[in-house]
Amino acid sequence: MKTAVFWGCRILTSQYAYEMSVREVMPKLGVELADLPEALCCGDPVKSVNDFAATYLSARVMALAHALDAGQLLVPCNRCHFTISEAKRSIEGDKKVSEKVSGMLAEEKLEYNPNMRLWHVIDFLHGFVGLEKVKKAVKPWKGLRLASHVGCQIIRYSDLGRVDNAENPTKLDELIGAVGAETVDYAEKLDCCGAHLLLSHVDTAFSLAGAKLRSLRELGVDGLVVSCPDCGLMYDFKQKDAAATVGVKLEIPVVYYTQLLGLALGIDQEKLGLHLNQSPVDRLLMKISV
Amino acid sequence: MSLVDLMSMAKPNLKSRAKVFSKLKGRDLVNCFQCIKCTSGCTALKLLELKPHEVEKLANLGFVDELVASDILWTCVTCLKCIQRCPQKASPYHVIMALRNLAVEREVKIPEAFMKAVSQVLETGMAEAYQKIAKGTETFDRESLKLPRIGSPREGFQALFLKALEEK
Amino acid sequence: MAACVVKIGVYVCHCGLNIAGTVDVAKVAEYAETLSNVVLAKHYTYMCSDPGQRMIQEDIKKHKLNRIVIATCSPRMHEETFRKAAEEAGLNPYLVEIVNLREHVSWPHGGEPEKATEKAKALVRMGVARARLLELLKKVKVAVEKKVLVVGGGIAGIQASLDMANAGLSVYLVEKQPSIGGRMAQLDKTFPTLDCSACILTPKMVDVGRHPNITLLTNSEVADVKGFVGNYEVTVLKKARYVDESKCVGCELCVKVCPVKVPDKFNENFSQTRAVSIQFPQAVPKVASIDPAYCLRLKLGKKEVCGKCLQVCEAKAIDFEQKPEEIKLKVGGILIAVGSGVFDASKMAEYGYGRFPDVISNIEFERISDASGPTGGKIVSPRTGKHPKSIAFIQCVGSRDKRFHEYCCRVGCMISLKQAILARGKLGEDVNIYVCYNDLRSFGKDCEEFYRRARDLDINFVAGIPSDIRRLADGTLYFDVYERGTNRLLEVHADIVVLANGLVPNIDLDSIGTMFHAGRSADGFLLEAHPKLRPLESSTAGVFLAGTCQGPKDIPDTVAQASGAAAKVVDLLSAGEIELEPLKAVVDEEFCSGCDVCRSLCPFSAMEIVPKGEGKTAKVIEAMCQGCGLCAAACPSGAVKIQQFTDRQLLAQVQVSCKEPEGGS
Repeated sequence: MKTAVFWGCRILTSQYAYEMSVREVMPKLGVELADLPEALCCGDPVKSVNDFAATYLSARVMALAHALDAGQLLVPCNRCHFTISEAKRSIEGDKKVSEKVSGMLAEEKLEYNPNMRLWHVIDFLHGFVGLEKVKKAVKPWKGLRLASHVGCQIIRYSDLGRVDNAENPTKLDELIGAVGAETVDYAEKLDCCGAHLLLSHVDTAFSLAGAKLRSLRELGVDGLVVSCPDCGLMYDFKQKDAAATVGVKLEIPVVYYTQLLGLALGIDQEKLGLHLNQSPVDRLLMKISV
Repeated sequence: MSLVDLMSMAKPNLKSRAKVFSKLKGRDLVNCFQCIKCTSGCTALKLLELKPHEVEKLANLGFVDELVASDILWTCVTCLKCIQRCPQKASPYHVIMALRNLAVEREVKIPEAFMKAVSQVLETGMAEAYQKIAKGTETFDRESLKLPRIGSPREGFQALFLKALEEK
Repeated sequence: MAACVVKIGVYVCHCGLNIAGTVDVAKVAEYAETLSNVVLAKHYTYMCSDPGQRMIQEDIKKHKLNRIVIATCSPRMHEETFRKAAEEAGLNPYLVEIVNLREHVSWPHGGEPEKATEKAKALVRMGVARARLLELLKKVKVAVEKKVLVVGGGIAGIQASLDMANAGLSVYLVEKQPSIGGRMAQLDKTFPTLDCSACILTPKMVDVGRHPNITLLTNSEVADVKGFVGNYEVTVLKKARYVDESKCVGCELCVKVCPVKVPDKFNENFSQTRAVSIQFPQAVPKVASIDPAYCLRLKLGKKEVCGKCLQVCEAKAIDFEQKPEEIKLKVGGILIAVGSGVFDASKMAEYGYGRFPDVISNIEFERISDASGPTGGKIVSPRTGKHPKSIAFIQCVGSRDKRFHEYCCRVGCMISLKQAILARGKLGEDVNIYVCYNDLRSFGKDCEEFYRRARDLDINFVAGIPSDIRRLADGTLYFDVYERGTNRLLEVHADIVVLANGLVPNIDLDSIGTMFHAGRSADGFLLEAHPKLRPLESSTAGVFLAGTCQGPKDIPDTVAQASGAAAKVVDLLSAGEIELEPLKAVVDEEFCSGCDVCRSLCPFSAMEIVPKGEGKTAKVIEAMCQGCGLCAAACPSGAVKIQQFTDRQLLAQVQVSCKEPEGGS
């Protein structure tokens, strides 16, 4: 089955490291990704302004994937994955919405396919590629203690059908385990990075990110693993701003899971965009002596 | 100040409430019994004083106009813990989003960044602009990183998106 | 009715404003009078009242009425009432026809009085059409077994068994576990009196064991049920316990030598028992049993393995050759008292039950608070074994929650109050105790007073429910809870969090409901025949309900319901015979070819094929027939009909349903 990929705005415009690492890792695991031909927003920020317009944008994303003749769509961003999932539900559960959307898509000769399967990087690797296949493909390390942060919108809310268990998600931890690292359970694991507040309350957004990083610092982990461009933005790019709100030096290496996996697959650091991370990833790299 | 002034003199507006209910396709997501579980776990409570149970109750009682005009709507982090854990399957998150939509319809002041994102989507298809990433003395962009160029939306998209934004 | 003229009286009930508020009852009565054979038609505020009934009776006598049509509420409410009234006035009760103007007309069509009145007229027209063809019927008398089967030996089954046995009925009490006692045996103290659960329960258990009218079948399950009210045939499967009940003296020597440790379910797996064990110290019967899933010899099926219990037993009670036994019983009535389950809190994952050892369920708290429990009654953290400095109770776990069970569990609040009071007593003044609630429901007798008592003991009642429970790096528990009364976010550190898990439908209800034809309500519990008129019985005649299998309830309510249900069974069986409704199949032998279709389909084995002349014919065994109508529907020659629901009667109704009969009425 052909797999299309929808990156979303955040990845395409700044979280290049995530994009690069996904592009590097997938072919090594036997998956070819087809890019959508156009840049497009999933509808997330539009949702607060006009729900239908957001649904339309999501539908257009899925329709563009369908036009590529893809049966499934990989969405590496948590927020996009959620917005598209809600749109899917709204289209499939409400005839009026579905008719309106289909009509608008038809004007561009596009078509909505309800069978389009959505994946996030986490369940794609864990379920579609398969945890065992990942394990076999990597050269695991030893003695690495990492914390995982799955983010909010790929696990909540369960009724929508999400990527992992809402209260005790384990897939990302298992994937981290596959590259030979131990994951640490911590009380704030399910807490939000705060990214959405960048649109309205910037200081609070940083405080939320800072609170979590401070706890992780106290736990003394070797790094934090994320799988969402928003979370990456907050914990990696904005770590200094986050630190300022909690008044401590944080200095926690933050990497995307696909970067970590790429290293374990023997891919060159630069190809994985590790030179773009703003947090002190060198410490982590030293620890695994790459 | 008299005692009466301490109380809000606001009156419920059932028409506005009906509007919110219709956006939410019924009352299910507002059918809250005030157990406070959402507020206990709300990410935006400690710093921004968002109390989802209060939003639910105010909407239920018809104090919708006050909510729509209030800054509190824009403090939600969309962490979705409230809807995940609500024992009545109500959803403060969805209520807040419906109220935000209503605020836009009524042209109440709303955070600039949201409107900016919408106009950006209209112009480029994307909610954000391409950034150059600085690290040390170097800067990087898609081109220098040899990432593929992404095309702009085809002609006609703008009109369709504008049409979508007209839906209420 | 020998060739006499059909004279029908029609009575339209107002039911206060229930019917008359929507339906123009005077118009309906007026219309009814125009229908043929209708001698008179009247309307009245409450037909079911004494004057209403008297009016009908007087009319029957005065106008020689021989059919009565009553347009009123559902026949489920008052058909019986009006049949009795007719009978008293000398009319055969089966000549009464009920037309439902309340549930079928006024309630569903409240906003449309005109249309409702038209529909009421049509239904009355149909009722009259059927009434013309009603036939004289007689109730059938059947002898009954004066024996009862009680399923489940918890407090409900125990109480009901004792009451019925004392009234002279023979009782078979079937219990799945090796001992009776049920859920109540696991409890430490009971609310709102704080008397010890065992002190109330144990003497009753002993009484059951000794009662001459009670046959106790433990380690047993009902495997099959056949028959009908008054004459049920029940098969009970008595599982092998590998100990001869008649020989075992309960000395527990075997338990002491058994080398196999087994998680003790009675203690909610906080401690271990042995593969041979007595379920708990006060067990009745006080007889050991061997768990074949753990016993080395039984598991391996080898005679030379272990056998330590065999060697040490002086009474020679151990019997590895014991086989399961099928016991056939004949009983007149059945009382289901199988109890409920407890919500599995691991489903409500935000509270970490099953992941964090210090998050425990309320039933687990009972075990660690009970003096005969795994900690000797010391309340300690399961993780550290130390006294807690802070305990928090969280209410409504699994109940009042649309994700799991929408109903209120009715006991969670009082259990937590009791446990908080016990914790205060055992742990002293220095311990912080929190009860986080949504609505604290203390509605039972003396329960509000109990709540007040808890407040006097400095228990922190927090009006608010936490979103999640977290485990901090030091292993202790932490949660935020927003407090409604103060508008403050409380940060609570707790060494133990007790979840007020609600009662949930017993998992056995699936099979039990099917076996006994007992319906289930939307909440999953067994459904009573009517919540107010027949709350103690299922909709199947002769099958009664008691205790938490019917819905969550506390011990006082359970015991009251059990005694009530017991009285209903005594009422049913004490006369030695019962009258059955004559709504049964009859065969017109002239048309029957003896094709056997009806017999092969009958779910109650009530049809037989007998020789007739040179051929054969079907014959109904009246006592077995339940009048379900399967045979009548299947009969290819129309030879079988159901009395009171004949094709003629029903078709007459259908024919006038949409229009007036031809040629006026």
